[in-house]
Amino acid sequence: MSGPGKTDRLISYLTAILLFGAAVFLIISGNTVLGLGALCLAGLSWFTSRRLLRRQGKPDREWLLDERLLQTQKLAAMGELAAGVAHEINNPLAIIRQEAEWTGQVLRQAEIPETPQLAEVRDSLREIVQQVDRARDITAGLLNLARKREPVIQKVDLNRLIRDMAALVEKEAKASNIQVIRRLQEGLPLIESDAPLLRQVILNLLNNARQAVGKDGSITISTRQAQDRRIVITIADTGSGIPPELIRHIFDPFFTTKEPGTGTGLGLAISRGIIHSLGGDITAASRAGEGAEFTISLPLRPETGVRHAATA
Amino acid sequence: MDKFRVLVVDDEEDFLETIVKRLRDRGLETHGVLSGEKALQFLEGQDTDVVVLDVRMPGMDGIETLKEIKKRKPGIEVIMLTGHASVESGIQGMQLGAFDYVMKPVPLDELLDKMRQAYERKVIQEEQL
Repeated sequence: MSGPGKTDRLISYLTAILLFGAAVFLIISGNTVLGLGALCLAGLSWFTSRRLLRRQGKPDREWLLDERLLQTQKLAAMGELAAGVAHEINNPLAIIRQEAEWTGQVLRQAEIPETPQLAEVRDSLREIVQQVDRARDITAGLLNLARKREPVIQKVDLNRLIRDMAALVEKEAKASNIQVIRRLQEGLPLIESDAPLLRQVILNLLNNARQAVGKDGSITISTRQAQDRRIVITIADTGSGIPPELIRHIFDPFFTTKEPGTGTGLGLAISRGIIHSLGGDITAASRAGEGAEFTISLPLRPETGVRHAATA
Repeated sequence: MDKFRVLVVDDEEDFLETIVKRLRDRGLETHGVLSGEKALQFLEGQDTDVVVLDVRMPGMDGIETLKEIKKRKPGIEVIMLTGHASVESGIQGMQLGAFDYVMKPVPLDELLDKMRQAYERKVIQEEQL
């Protein structure tokens, strides 16, 4: 990986300036909370740009570490702002939905004679409710992304957890002639981790794989213990793969390769957050036309920082 | 593992009766209700550790009920139980903080095992507070 280019820096500074502008505007127009949020982001953005400048000439490895740290800080700040926005938007959404439903109710009570126009109005109301629900999915995802869920550490039988989730996906997969292949290494040690959070990640990845394949193909899920004793899970599909220019964005919030309206683009961002909180790592690899493969590596127990279970 | 308190929510009366009986037989303090609304009422009045919740119910469905339980009593662990495996609602359930999403029919021992883990999680969480 090479250092940041001129355009990267330019974009970074431009973002900072734009965010400053937005902050000023928001504060003047009375929305202090969001304004302050934007101000924080702008500051962070400026800081990032400065660091990018200073980093020119540093060796690649150091640069990579720096980059990771920045990414984490940036995501945390973005998460907080996003959660604030999501909360603010949820209230008007609830009102829109309620008003649409109420309008429908009034229409029924008014006993207006059935005409094509009336049907049209009803259709339109239904669409409003549907789109509100879609928007609510997005805000729910945002809140989920920002929520810092402290992992609760218990003994986890990873193979069993994966078998359960695979069985759940298998039924729908079979209907589209997708085979779910399990290559689970027997005798894996129990790990100390958070089972519900891992279920969320595995289910999400399996579902993505199923959607990527569409029909006729296979999903292979495997587990093994690596040399360094960490447990490695891979989920590979035979879908159309992810083009190389997109793969580095695959874990970014709101990035999606799915049809508009079918995904919020938050699933993988949330999954990455979860895996990192468990002391693990998640990566994606793909060659166009040959499917995609996601690899998770998990420690036998999370390092310090995460509290341990009292039970044996 | 000590005794813990369980609420089973399912609209199928026959299923509910049997499972409540069997869980009591295993020494768990178990109650059963037939709907999500009744579950919320029950939880208002009685301390509960683990809820086993059917996904498909008339009226308030399992996902709605889960959302309400987690809003009102976030400490309670919920195991979703479903007759129709739906990946979509599985993802939703896990995102909303369910402990597990289990397909019916499930052997009682397996369910008990999951319930014990769910209870253990509740205890750990309470200790962390």
